[in-house]
Amino acid sequence: MADFSFTRRRAILLLSLTSVILITMDLRGSSVINFARSTFGVVFRPIESATKVVTRPLGNAWNGITHYNDVVKENHRLNDLVAYSEGSTISAIASVREAQELLSLNGLPTLAGIASCTAQVVGQSPSNFTQTVEINRGSECGLKVGMPVLNAAGMIGKITDVYNKRSVVMLLTDPGYSLAVKVVNIPAPTTTTTVAPGTPVGDTTTTTSTTTTTTLPRVTTTTGIPGFVPGVTIATSSTSTFAPLPGEVTVPIGDVGPNQPGKSTSSEITVPAGLDVPLRETGALEGRGIARTPIVRFVENQPRFGAVRIGSPIISAGGATSLAPPDIVIGSVSRVVNRTGTLGPILEVTLAANLKNLNFVRILLYQPSSERVATP
Amino acid sequence: MIDQVLLFAENRYARLVLVGLMVLSLQTTVFNDMRPFGVCLQVMVLLAASAGLARGSDVGAIAGFIIGLLYDMVLTTPMGLCAAVFATVGYLAGVGQSLVYAPTWWSRMLLGSIASAIGMILLPIASTITGATGILNAHVLFVALIVGLFNAVLSIPAERLCRWALTEPAAVR
Repeated sequence: MADFSFTRRRAILLLSLTSVILITMDLRGSSVINFARSTFGVVFRPIESATKVVTRPLGNAWNGITHYNDVVKENHRLNDLVAYSEGSTISAIASVREAQELLSLNGLPTLAGIASCTAQVVGQSPSNFTQTVEINRGSECGLKVGMPVLNAAGMIGKITDVYNKRSVVMLLTDPGYSLAVKVVNIPAPTTTTTVAPGTPVGDTTTTTSTTTTTTLPRVTTTTGIPGFVPGVTIATSSTSTFAPLPGEVTVPIGDVGPNQPGKSTSSEITVPAGLDVPLRETGALEGRGIARTPIVRFVENQPRFGAVRIGSPIISAGGATSLAPPDIVIGSVSRVVNRTGTLGPILEVTLAANLKNLNFVRILLYQPSSERVATP
Repeated sequence: MIDQVLLFAENRYARLVLVGLMVLSLQTTVFNDMRPFGVCLQVMVLLAASAGLARGSDVGAIAGFIIGLLYDMVLTTPMGLCAAVFATVGYLAGVGQSLVYAPTWWSRMLLGSIASAIGMILLPIASTITGATGILNAHVLFVALIVGLFNAVLSIPAERLCRWALTEPAAVR
């Protein structure tokens, strides 16, 4: 019995020690562990591929039973979406090109100037606690750890492991994922006072709008400054619809000099937009697991920035140390959790990319300027 | 050379590695696609538990360690983490089996299910100890419940497989 206990104790001790040594080596980035994993991958991939071929009918049957209704609904939804998107795609492409031209004219970096590598998702993590996928491109394509991965909709994650012909991508929803992002706050709605032609001054209609540029013939729009609307082209009729204010002297049309606030003129003026430019604030995007949406923390509670509105876009912040270039679409704000004091709000994010259906992805061969090797 | 290969094949842990590779390929393919209630089924932890149920706590711990090490090779978690957890699962399953008087098929199913569920709770705890954040939450209990239920269904064939793989070399002859 004593020998038995000793053997058992010794076995448990050996197993525990081995585990601790292996974990320590791996956490310290041992090349031995990486080599072991890489070698195991070479041996295991053929077995896995063969099993995939054999078990595909089983998987298809399971998906047919459990997901048929979802697929039909998704198909209808996507058909509608395609029809809706086709119209706006052309104008969007034109806008993007214009934006890229502007950025390049000003010497600012654009995504168009970054080389990329297209890959296909070949598998996902079998774990319930890590959200990773495997792609069929590796170091032979120039991939390196940390490079951002996108699909057509937006950012999906970053490279965490690179082997010769495959890589592991950590998804945005993984609890270990973090990225500096910008929240582009949608401007607060402005109060617009519309005066119909011939309507008495007292009989006005107040509407709410978020548009920044409007052409309003015979209509005067007001903000904080009477008669002054940034970004608005004002074309008034020769007859003012306003009654003179108390103490105001009515000047005949044509005798007016430069445009004056609160007064109608016969000339068209265009005030460049300025005050309604969307405000931006930076924060840190963090994944929270597959069942929960990612959040953005560390958004400062600035009065100028105002309350973050649901639907505000989230884009990558970029920067010298960020692993992703700026202005990659990530998603939009789906919920705002306000906190007391100076703590900024926590923003829940609906991702633009559907991480459940990943197929082809694009890896930007981007390295932050702090990690680039200086060329002689 | 042939003799050496045969000698290697007779070793029960060598057989377990081959069986483990087969089950791992199933884990990363068909069981990876089948996600009831959004939970990935874990047949590797079931294999570790079944080893303990089939051959007792000592063999269960060693077998669990080997199976966990195989699983570590395809995961991004630190190497040795699943090995330690699965060794514990195999050991606990063996201890649980030894405590049951005249075990029946349903008691083995129950033990396999409980051991798998414990493994699914221990795994995020161990991950948190090694530095992972944000994975230890109430969702872990849901994952443990689903994995436990489905592993109960598969525990009888898995135990038979482990009983065959972990047979003493003398008995094989």
